[in-house]
Amino acid sequence: MDIQLEGIVVIVGNYGSGKTEISVNLAVEKKLAGVDVSIADLDLVNLYFRTREARKQLNNLGIEVILPPERYLQADLVILAPAVSGLIRNPRHLTILDVGGDKTGARVLAALGDAFKGRAYRMLQVINPYRPFTDTLKGCIEIKEGIEKVSGMRISGIIGNANLINDTTIDIINKGYEFVSMVSNNTGLSLEFITIPSLLSGKVDMKRFSCPVLTLRRQLVPPWIKTDLF
Amino acid sequence: MGKILMKGNEAIGEAAIRAGCLNYFAYPITPQSEVSEYLSHRMPEAGGVFLQGESEVAVGYMVFGAAACGERVFTTSSSPGISLMSEAISYIAGAQCPAVFVNIMRGGPGLGGILPSQADYFQATKGGGHGDYRLLVMAPASVQEAVEMVMTAFPLAEKYRNPVMILGDGLIGQMMEPVEFPEHLKAEPSNKDDWATNGMDTRKSTKKNIVKSLFLDPVVLNQNNLTLKEKYNRMKREDVMWESYNTDDEYKLLIVSYGTMSRVCKTAVDNMKEEGIEVGMIRPKTLFPFPEKAVFEAASKNSCKMVLSIEMSMGQMVEDVERCIHGKRPVEWYGSCGGDVPTPEEIMDVVKSYL
Repeated sequence: MDIQLEGIVVIVGNYGSGKTEISVNLAVEKKLAGVDVSIADLDLVNLYFRTREARKQLNNLGIEVILPPERYLQADLVILAPAVSGLIRNPRHLTILDVGGDKTGARVLAALGDAFKGRAYRMLQVINPYRPFTDTLKGCIEIKEGIEKVSGMRISGIIGNANLINDTTIDIINKGYEFVSMVSNNTGLSLEFITIPSLLSGKVDMKRFSCPVLTLRRQLVPPWIKTDLF
Repeated sequence: MGKILMKGNEAIGEAAIRAGCLNYFAYPITPQSEVSEYLSHRMPEAGGVFLQGESEVAVGYMVFGAAACGERVFTTSSSPGISLMSEAISYIAGAQCPAVFVNIMRGGPGLGGILPSQADYFQATKGGGHGDYRLLVMAPASVQEAVEMVMTAFPLAEKYRNPVMILGDGLIGQMMEPVEFPEHLKAEPSNKDDWATNGMDTRKSTKKNIVKSLFLDPVVLNQNNLTLKEKYNRMKREDVMWESYNTDDEYKLLIVSYGTMSRVCKTAVDNMKEEGIEVGMIRPKTLFPFPEKAVFEAASKNSCKMVLSIEMSMGQMVEDVERCIHGKRPVEWYGSCGGDVPTPEEIMDVVKSYL
């Protein structure tokens, strides 16, 4: 089952839900399937572990990466690249916008309101039920509503990202799938896809899932761990 | 409750609540602001107080006030913020109050940068504020260890009636790892009736307490300092913590490293082992008290020819390493402190250059 996404895809969710890992991995999977992909780092909140960390690999694969100018990359107050609004007006076959965490991170979308005007987009909420505040339906809805309120945009689907990094087990994947299915049923949001870490690739019974699955290769790692190369 | 995935800063906030601390005062600064962000949701939920002060100076004294009243209290900041709190830390130590300070270090001096650093080693272990005081300083190397150290910090602060500092670098605050909160580390509140100004109504004793750090009588002031000194000696006897890594083999070189830097070193030690090169490592988990005996003994091993202190500073812990080796082995330093954490490959090259 392939992930059916094209046009502008806005990835949102609470802090540390896995937005950047998913954005980067989704970009690579689609690029390898022959899709013309661009990705923009809109995270104005977090200063460590961002899309920019994976830029070399993405560039090597021929994926367009929109980042603030190099000389501002370590600025304490981060900067939105002017190229982003241009990208929204003239999207590639698939344009992924990796937004910062929570409603605070989603505030950047309001600033791009003019560029979004009249344009179709899909805004997807990443949910990791093993993170604080999104382990309940109520918590997921609060995050959703907060993001929608500050961005003035609508979330249309969810991405299930049950994940404990190296401690992720098959049981966690299965329970996570059940949880996001429940959220999907209760909110009416479509379950776009779920993720499994590459270390469990081939070990999970895929027949359990009625949605596509994205295999995650970990890109944002501390210095003592090697990046899982594509 | 099973494991959950947390950012170090969030886990530090949650650990304090689990340890029974319901008073948190702070002022935001990168890279630790997520502690406050997290606790702005969680403290009210847990029935506690989170107040953002108008500056770190104010926060330091809010901590002092709560501690003097016998409340479990903590704050978090990053390097420049800790400098501003240092006056209050000295007062709290002088007045013998328990409190927990978390420093998620960024690069310095001055405003420096926002990336990881370990350049506040001197500030944490040798003072920072004025006078003859010490902090019990713990340095976590993982998010799980940060949780356990924060939970342990409160009973330790109360045991010694002294501030305890958790010294983590930016990566400890920012990285995400699976964690759990051990039930057995949940500490009961200790009895503070003998010294705290906790209100006559709720106390079992009729003793009237004064909390202060001003002692104008030279004899009394000297006595206060002797009392503090005895506490610090007791810390050295009872609460030194460290980890030995690969020290059973015949290593030619011993690394001393702490915090996330030690995780890079561990990977380097493992990689070199695969190449047939043995390197031992001591990781201080408490920086004060420093694991003097452990470092001395590991360095004294017959096979060991030298010691290398690896830290994200321009050479601070290396002075403690030299001090406790008493000249028995040559000691060298390696590190950087711009914010780029050295890689395992870089450490391997440095180690090999000495072999």
